[in-house]
Amino acid sequence: MIRIGNVLVSPGEGGVYGERMIEGCRVWDPYRSKLAALIMLGGEIDLLPDMRVLYLGAANGTTASHVADYVETVYAVEFAPRPMQDLLEVARRRKNIVPIMADAGRPGEYAPFVEAVDLVYQDVAQKNQVQIALRNAAFLKEGGRLILMLKTRSVDVRMDPKDVLRETVDALSPAFRVITACWLEPYHRDHAALVCEAVK
Amino acid sequence: MQRYWFGDVEDGGCRPADGNPASVAERAATLGVSMETFVPLDWRIAQECGFVRDREEYIAKLREVTMHLAREKIAERFRGGDAELLSMVRMLDDLDSVINLLNERAAEWYLVAHPTFSRKYRTMPARKMIAIVGRQARGGMKQVAEEIDRLYAARTALMQEVSARAFEVLPNTSALVGGLVAARLLSRAGSLEALSRMPASTIQVLGSERALFSHLRSGTPPPKHGIIFQHRRVHNAPKAVRGRVARVLAAKVSIAARLDYHRGAADPAFIREASARIDAAGEAA
Repeated sequence: MIRIGNVLVSPGEGGVYGERMIEGCRVWDPYRSKLAALIMLGGEIDLLPDMRVLYLGAANGTTASHVADYVETVYAVEFAPRPMQDLLEVARRRKNIVPIMADAGRPGEYAPFVEAVDLVYQDVAQKNQVQIALRNAAFLKEGGRLILMLKTRSVDVRMDPKDVLRETVDALSPAFRVITACWLEPYHRDHAALVCEAVK
Repeated sequence: MQRYWFGDVEDGGCRPADGNPASVAERAATLGVSMETFVPLDWRIAQECGFVRDREEYIAKLREVTMHLAREKIAERFRGGDAELLSMVRMLDDLDSVINLLNERAAEWYLVAHPTFSRKYRTMPARKMIAIVGRQARGGMKQVAEEIDRLYAARTALMQEVSARAFEVLPNTSALVGGLVAARLLSRAGSLEALSRMPASTIQVLGSERALFSHLRSGTPPPKHGIIFQHRRVHNAPKAVRGRVARVLAAKVSIAARLDYHRGAADPAFIREASARIDAAGEAA
């Protein structure tokens, strides 16, 4: 990962969402992007130039555009039409993003388009986030990683976020081995990041 | 057999899809595979297949197909006009609150600037007050008053547009409760599909969520009606039968919304019978 001073950046064409530029690189703000927050907090992840990534819940394509700056190909899945309009515009200028309009909870619908990937990155505001992750495990190569951005408030607003995290770690266990689980404080509240390895 | 966007693969053999991007997309849209037997694809199969020469071409072709499909899906989701009608109603409601806010502020300002002026003993709706301000004031205050007047005009025009559009999008519901109320129900529900799935009891109290939840929490009297109160059949009804009218109207609206969603055309026989039933409910017992 590239840092200039202590600022996380990604190399690529700027102006996607009005991000600042430093020395020709795009500033990747941890307060806006949960993945940037995880990297700033020292999460054990690396985005490498030969990686293929399946990005579930790409939304307007802000974080997806930064990921695309680092890796070879990003398969960006988004379901809602309004953010999809933005995502298509981002993908028009970034030739390594494959935008797919589909429900991340129904991988069968987009499976014919997606190849085996090195990383599944999931950031969806759904109650059944864990099931969605498990259903998409089939796309991972052997030893591939899953980064699950757990929105504890989307799972259950009444539960203590710590309990949600514990239950999630348990629920992932047969298909994934959790490598690290950390909270994204101070950048994002009640969000946890889980870095997992696929067990095949 | 594995079905991929570029063709079908079986026992090492491969049948590539027809090369034309539109037909590739059309075929790919209908695939939908079962994840139990699915094998993630390897792009090299497409190369061996003769579908593409290299990875660059593979990704380019794939992007062409997925972007085409995404655009079609977006258009499909926005079709039927209920998405635009939704934005129109919300704009109308926002215009209302902005106009009210500006009105009050302008009136306040005018009163302070003209200590001898009072609204008492004169029937003076806000609109008329703004007309006076527009005539008599000068400078910034005059400009603001004129702007507010223009906003009123915009609001009136938009209201007619909303109503006309509602009759297109929700012909049956609009025939029962009028275009504006139909559009507001749609806005509360979020989409025509959501409205068509609502039970009559929910439609009856749409828009009175505060009263409803205060009833559920602390046993205050339940709301009889929400948005549908704005319809003359409800608010003109004698108080004693208002609850009954609201209930019957909501029941008919829920049927109308389903007709609108699934059939999309007015059903004169239904509208006639439903109207008669609602009128009958309004007659005092």
